[in-house]
Amino acid sequence: MRWWVLGVVCLLVLVGGVLIGPTAISVGEVWQAIAGRGDHATVGIVRDLRLTRALLAFAVGGSLAVTGAALQALVRNPLADPYLLGLSGGAGLGAVVAVSLGLTGAWALPMTAFVGSLLAIVVVYRLAIVAGQAIDPRVLLLGGVVVGAFAASLMGAFIALSPAAEVRGAMLWLLGGFSGASWTTLAVFALYAVTPLALLFAVGRSLDLLALGEEPARLLGADVERVKRTLYVAASLLTAAAVAVAGIIGFVGLVVPHAIRLTWGHTHRRLLPAAFLVGGCLLVVADALARTAFAPLELPVGVVTAVIGVPVFVTLLRGWQE
Amino acid sequence: MIRWLAVSAILMTSACAGGERAAPLQDDGGRPIVVARPPERIVSLSPATTELLFALGAGDRLVGRTRFDEDPAAALAIPSVGDGLQPNVEVVLATRPDLVVFYEAVANTPAIERIEQTGTRVVGLRLDGLDDLVRATRLLGSILGARDRSDSLIDDLRVGLDAASQANRAVDSAALLAWTEPPIVIGRASFLSEIAGYAGLDNVFDDVARASATVSIETLAARRPGFLILGRGSAESVRQRPQWHAIDAVREGRIVVVHGTHFSHPSFRAPAAIRELRALVEQVAR
Repeated sequence: MRWWVLGVVCLLVLVGGVLIGPTAISVGEVWQAIAGRGDHATVGIVRDLRLTRALLAFAVGGSLAVTGAALQALVRNPLADPYLLGLSGGAGLGAVVAVSLGLTGAWALPMTAFVGSLLAIVVVYRLAIVAGQAIDPRVLLLGGVVVGAFAASLMGAFIALSPAAEVRGAMLWLLGGFSGASWTTLAVFALYAVTPLALLFAVGRSLDLLALGEEPARLLGADVERVKRTLYVAASLLTAAAVAVAGIIGFVGLVVPHAIRLTWGHTHRRLLPAAFLVGGCLLVVADALARTAFAPLELPVGVVTAVIGVPVFVTLLRGWQE
Repeated sequence: MIRWLAVSAILMTSACAGGERAAPLQDDGGRPIVVARPPERIVSLSPATTELLFALGAGDRLVGRTRFDEDPAAALAIPSVGDGLQPNVEVVLATRPDLVVFYEAVANTPAIERIEQTGTRVVGLRLDGLDDLVRATRLLGSILGARDRSDSLIDDLRVGLDAASQANRAVDSAALLAWTEPPIVIGRASFLSEIAGYAGLDNVFDDVARASATVSIETLAARRPGFLILGRGSAESVRQRPQWHAIDAVREGRIVVVHGTHFSHPSFRAPAAIRELRALVEQVAR
């Protein structure tokens, strides 16, 4: 029953994301435009801008929420979020370097941000591998924070030393948003996200064991090291892909998994798919608000996710304490 | 129509101020200006004032500029003191200036106060548009004892603006972009918007009072600008992005890129900037 309700909500939110925009287009016109009828600008707005934005926001929001849930289980720390592992710093450094080098092609920023986050992942991973094979979650946590801080300082140096306007542009891109959404970015992200998502869903049951602690998990038959590695690699790649298409959007990965744990229980087999759907909905709603609340001006979507997410989360926390 | 009003407004400001010799001189931060002996060692902390000082014939008295001041070419020979916003006060004072010309902004207030405390003369100028240029020219002309020169520069500017905008009767519209990822448009409080106005282009984001603002591509498309004018980057990088094709001007190739500081800060090269923009627009016009 709950799944049906959630499914219907997702559908409504996606439809709403296409119907709502800074320009007034009637429901009938939107319908016509989806079918390809109407004037060029309206069809372009509905099909190439609104539809792609809503779908990309859904996919990215879902991926971030799943990643957050998985990482919280991996490092057994409720503060874990997708950017914890130094990814945001690495991505930011990549983007700033691209802009400083004068790379302006459509794919320059996303590609260098992606490469930057991969580098950060590799460094953190190497740090966290102790005694040959095992990943130490505490070192992973510390390594991620430290590598992220290091990359952020290098980014600060670039910003201080480069011609201001260009670098400020890179920072703005990094702030996150879906203005880069197109059918191409959507296809690239979908292709890229399928494998890590499938891997994360597949280790769902092991996550439940892992949440008990590594020793009990091992005793109950989980291949703990393999699960941890799979988790880490899948979560990192998924986040890097999200950063590449949408910059850094805070809060979804932190709050959505906790909200679901508070309302729907802790079982990861249910938590992960639910996190995907709820995270997706949250970002579609946040993006619709970001586009329309102060039209023609646009807000950074991360601001909106926090403004919606925090009150909801606080309410849930209060209810849980009582 | 708007252009003619603007030209006459500049004309009128110059006429009025010319007759108000008696009024005490103030800079844009409300600091009284005492016209004593002309300064010998000047540090200029914005590209626009550096260029203006050269135009007033005081280039040889400049002992410091910011790292962004590249015009005229002779400015490059003057040592840079770094940034103009929140400048390094120690480096500025090390040039032993007797006048420091600031960009008037809240961020600069601490630096201005510290330099004033050393007994060095300070002038804060908010040089954002052509009206500001006229006011700043007159003020610096007085301080430098070069009123003849400043008056003739202002006259030439007026004539130049008149001539450059006269031919641009066919009014079209444009969106002016400072950045494309995400799209940041230039509002009416910006120099490029003023230049576009003289070139016969109405800024479709005239309702944005700020210098610039982030908007969605949908808003850009819905405003249907006749042209897209980019302050940096390339037309190719916009055309590569499929989502931008929802904008008529992109689909139909009416994208213009402007390069050079004559588009980024007010100077006596403004008439040339207007003519250049108009020519670029006509090249890609329907």
